[in-house]
Amino acid sequence: MTLELAVRLTEILLGLAFFQQSLEFLRAAGVEQKLGLLRALLSFLLMLGVFPLVICSLLVVTSFVLIQRFQGPYNGGSDTMSMLVLLGVWLSYLAPSRMWQEIALGYVVLQLIWSYFQAGVVKLVNPEWRSGKALYEVFALTAYPVSESVRGLAKKRQLLLSGSWCVIVAELLFPLAFFNQTTLIMALICAGCFHLANAILFGLNRFVLAWLSAYPLVLWFQQRLFELL
Amino acid sequence: MLKVLLPILFPSWRFFSGIGVSPRFDIAFVAVEGDEPVEWIPFRPLPETLSLWQHFKRLLHNPQWNESLFLNSCAERLFEGGGDFYQQEIAARLLHAVQLGEVSVPNAAGYMCFRIRALYSEDAPANCMGQVRDEVVFQSSCYALTLREGIV
Repeated sequence: MTLELAVRLTEILLGLAFFQQSLEFLRAAGVEQKLGLLRALLSFLLMLGVFPLVICSLLVVTSFVLIQRFQGPYNGGSDTMSMLVLLGVWLSYLAPSRMWQEIALGYVVLQLIWSYFQAGVVKLVNPEWRSGKALYEVFALTAYPVSESVRGLAKKRQLLLSGSWCVIVAELLFPLAFFNQTTLIMALICAGCFHLANAILFGLNRFVLAWLSAYPLVLWFQQRLFELL
Repeated sequence: MLKVLLPILFPSWRFFSGIGVSPRFDIAFVAVEGDEPVEWIPFRPLPETLSLWQHFKRLLHNPQWNESLFLNSCAERLFEGGGDFYQQEIAARLLHAVQLGEVSVPNAAGYMCFRIRALYSEDAPANCMGQVRDEVVFQSSCYALTLREGIV
């Protein structure tokens, strides 16, 4: 995959992610609603690929306004990832040379790989994750389960123990998938399904497109790295 | 600016590293400011089940749920001693939800107040479940329903 194609696919997915986020602000009031409307339009233009540097710049500015407004990201990790991908794409347009373009986009890829690995490490070192208790508490106590029937999964202790270890192992092994194109594609499909499951079970729908938007860059970066080595 | 930019450029991805206190919101209506609320109503209680269609719709567009997640973040910051911003943000959003008709308001109601409960499990060995505690940790003052536009 060429850098140009990867950036174009990322812009489309990122545009969809921002469009989804922006529509949510339309039900709000005041400046939030106005920013939502503006960003919905900008997201649409980002998907179309018109004046990408101008559109990315405006999205960066409005993203910072929103972060100031909410004293941090509105939706935690998903907003952080979509902002990081946006910054990478924006910097790649500002970059003075091909090398700096690749560094900007490569940094996004490294953060994506690190996001899975770090999430795996913090679970592995926590005995409550290793025993399945943490996942039990996610279902039984936290506000994340989307319905009472989903909360009821807390009773399936064996399933939760297996689920905990599947998540820990998959997150820890993700970086290894990077060394082969087939395993990387399989890992990205599995990771996409993982985000989808989180969206269905815990309502974390914004994470799906936020992470997926960086996947084309991951595929490009792997190819580029193989060329260099 | 740097304070905002740094966590974006060097984020922490420690998702669910530990399961902490989980907030729940209740709201109540009173006729006169300062009255003690009689009935607390859980804000956005979970549905029993969701149909396949509802799951699909929520996958694409789920503003209420994501707002609830933001409210939880605000509550967690309040638990940590966060400033007045978080309390006002919660109040404004609850009032807006009331205004949008998410909660039915009694006729005589002139004010709304809210409380935040904290659900957590008491310390226990890693393979044992602790006793689940449900405690009210914050109760707001009254917010005039007629002034809700102004607060938002």
